[in-house]
Amino acid sequence: MNPYCAGVLLGLTLLLSYLILGAGLGASAGLARLGAAIDLQLDPARTLASDYFGRWGAHPLQYYLVFMLAGVFFGGLISALLGNRCVISVERGAKCPPKKRLLFSLLGGVLVGFASRLANGCTSGQALSGSALLITGSLLFLFSVFAGGYAAAWFVRRQWDD
Amino acid sequence: MIETFFGNGTLDAPVALLASLLIGIVFGVALEQAGFGSSRRLAGIFYFRDMAVLKVMFTAVIVSMLGLCYAKAFGWIAADNVYFLHTIYAAQIVGGLIFGIGFVVSGWCPGTGAVGLASGKVDALVFLAGAIGGSMLYNEAYPAVARLSAADHGVVFAYNSLGISEAALALVFTLIAVGGFWGAEYLEKRRFGTGMLWGSPCLKAFSVVLITGAFGLFALSKQPPATATAAVAQETALLKGLQSGTDHIDPTELADRLLAGDTVIILVDIRTPGEFSRFHLRSAINLQPEELSAALAPHINQGLIVLYSNGMTHPAQARDSLFRQGFENVCFLTDGLEGFLETCLKPASLRREPVPPIQALKISAWRAFFLAPATPAATRSSAPVLPEKPGLIETDWLNENLGTPGIKLIDLRAQSEYNTSHIPGSLNLNPESLRGWVRGVPSSLLPANMLAEHFSLMGIHPDNFLVLVCTDKLQDATLAGMACERLQHVRYGFLQGGFPKWQAEKRPLDAMLPTAQPSQYPVPDQPDAFTIEAKDVLQALGRPEPLLLDVRSADYFAGKKQDEARGGHIPGAINRDYTEDVAKAKTYSAFKPVDELGEIYAKLIPTKDTPVILYCRTGHQASQTYFTLTHLLGYTHIKWYDGGWTEWSAKPEWPVE
Repeated sequence: MNPYCAGVLLGLTLLLSYLILGAGLGASAGLARLGAAIDLQLDPARTLASDYFGRWGAHPLQYYLVFMLAGVFFGGLISALLGNRCVISVERGAKCPPKKRLLFSLLGGVLVGFASRLANGCTSGQALSGSALLITGSLLFLFSVFAGGYAAAWFVRRQWDD
Repeated sequence: MIETFFGNGTLDAPVALLASLLIGIVFGVALEQAGFGSSRRLAGIFYFRDMAVLKVMFTAVIVSMLGLCYAKAFGWIAADNVYFLHTIYAAQIVGGLIFGIGFVVSGWCPGTGAVGLASGKVDALVFLAGAIGGSMLYNEAYPAVARLSAADHGVVFAYNSLGISEAALALVFTLIAVGGFWGAEYLEKRRFGTGMLWGSPCLKAFSVVLITGAFGLFALSKQPPATATAAVAQETALLKGLQSGTDHIDPTELADRLLAGDTVIILVDIRTPGEFSRFHLRSAINLQPEELSAALAPHINQGLIVLYSNGMTHPAQARDSLFRQGFENVCFLTDGLEGFLETCLKPASLRREPVPPIQALKISAWRAFFLAPATPAATRSSAPVLPEKPGLIETDWLNENLGTPGIKLIDLRAQSEYNTSHIPGSLNLNPESLRGWVRGVPSSLLPANMLAEHFSLMGIHPDNFLVLVCTDKLQDATLAGMACERLQHVRYGFLQGGFPKWQAEKRPLDAMLPTAQPSQYPVPDQPDAFTIEAKDVLQALGRPEPLLLDVRSADYFAGKKQDEARGGHIPGAINRDYTEDVAKAKTYSAFKPVDELGEIYAKLIPTKDTPVILYCRTGHQASQTYFTLTHLLGYTHIKWYDGGWTEWSAKPEWPVE
């Protein structure tokens, strides 16, 4: 799809989210709550006593952003299937071994998961939803994401080499 | 006006969860349609290879930003129906930098990762597992990194930070985004020949629509707010605030948030400076209603402004006025300061309803926080000059110095009277608790070590200035004065007219129990110099000096009335009823003027240094005459026979007159 059309669709979705839910879009909170649910399975007492996950109580998955994340997955699945774009693969540059690419994905994932909790949101919750409301902290997050990304880009460029 | 799930507080209801799922599905479709099921495409922006992220993301931000601005301008949605993220500078900047690194390393972010997984990307699956792990890592590291999130600035809007209007920033933001789109297209066209949309009618039209939209907003907000619809919308929003309860804050919530060090709250006391200096809630600033809008301008729609007064009327009116001036972040304290004192600071022990233990703990924490001393005195520039020897304290002086650290009030009235109302900060003391069975005599002033123990429990320090407060039984205060003197504590004063005068003058009162940190009051190493025993009195019998002065009423002196083994008085004693030193005014009793007392005693006692032994039945009444003679009139050799007629009359072998 034309990126601007996709952007308009995304913007209208965000607007709809604000007008219906009263809150913006979000994805990282759903992942974090999955983490809390896993922790609860491993050691409920310790999780409930912890300072951060403990706040979410014994049922962290009963939260609107968990449902929204599930929706994102299903929405993506519907769109990919309809567009015939659903192919099991490791996306990488042709010269990059899959293991390296997966290691990078894992490492980046850990950083993203940690940073999303620290900043109280990710590209969806802060950079997109917060910036649309012109919230100072969200705009600073947006700029910091690009600053961090461009600063680190050179070091990991090889994974896309063809 | 739209009611959101957040506004109704039903974001966790099943229907809201279903709505979230559906919105998520559209969100996922939009991301997938944008091509964000591909990490290669997402990472492209960091190598200036594929600028789709910039185009999609900024288009989405601008569309929803303009949409929200219009929704607000048309009154479709009120600010209190939207959840605004808080700004926490350190956490968001550091978090953003780490996030950016993680983004470029993995090629994914959480939302796109979910779409990537749906598209069959194994690297997306690994990324999501890593992100879940990273969240768990944050939970583990939370005690160490929570410091970064400590400075919560609340809801901060960039246009306020920059000092421009919302519409102006929206326009600037739109122009930057449109410039970015053209730049991205140009870049792609030049470098890869893929920028198909450069100069296309499609991009031109899109740019015009966005910029026109932003300008339209600018024009809309330029309209004078006095138009009927805007005014009505504003009044509706104001009235809605009443209904939804966002116009007030409960005392317990305020107490908890202040105790927790919530920096979002700007607490404003709108009472008079006089009332403010006597007592105010910790961290409050004092502003008069007419000063509010100017003084609070820096906080417009930033943080939470809480107004309070004694009651609710004035803060509510002030809140509405501020709301009309554009402050949407103002509320007032439910039930005012009076309600706060009653709800949060009234000791659990004084409450009619039983208080659960957890609530009682909370109350004591609130009391320790809000009743900590030094707040009122902090507003005064110079420390008061405290009398260095015992004397009379005027109510004016006390009123002015109320709350000064180092001044302690001791209320000697009955427990029930004290509990009902007392001068703020007073400790209650039953004068009888200062007496006991000492060396075979009941009702004797306790030895110094026991008095010191008593003072320690009350948290009294040797350098405290004690103000003794009683009813019209002045001897209660003077007996407490004898206890002070036995401990060589000369920094005490006696509130002239006592509690009744204070009350009649409508001075501040409350019913709080002050906090008293137990102290270590030192025990003097020498016995006091003014107390004498029966053997000293026996030695004085038949001699011209020391002079024996019986302060009981004439009937007891003459033996017409008696409450002891024998009636009468010690041979050679003269009589001066202690009650005659006191004049009764309309509402209170006070010592007679010093001149008048001086003349009377001059006729009874030859000189100021004549040795005199005072006694009554138990030492209680004589303590008052001791205060009169020693501290008001300057007699230097006054002794106090504490055993008094109680002891004397019970010894058949000692003579009686």
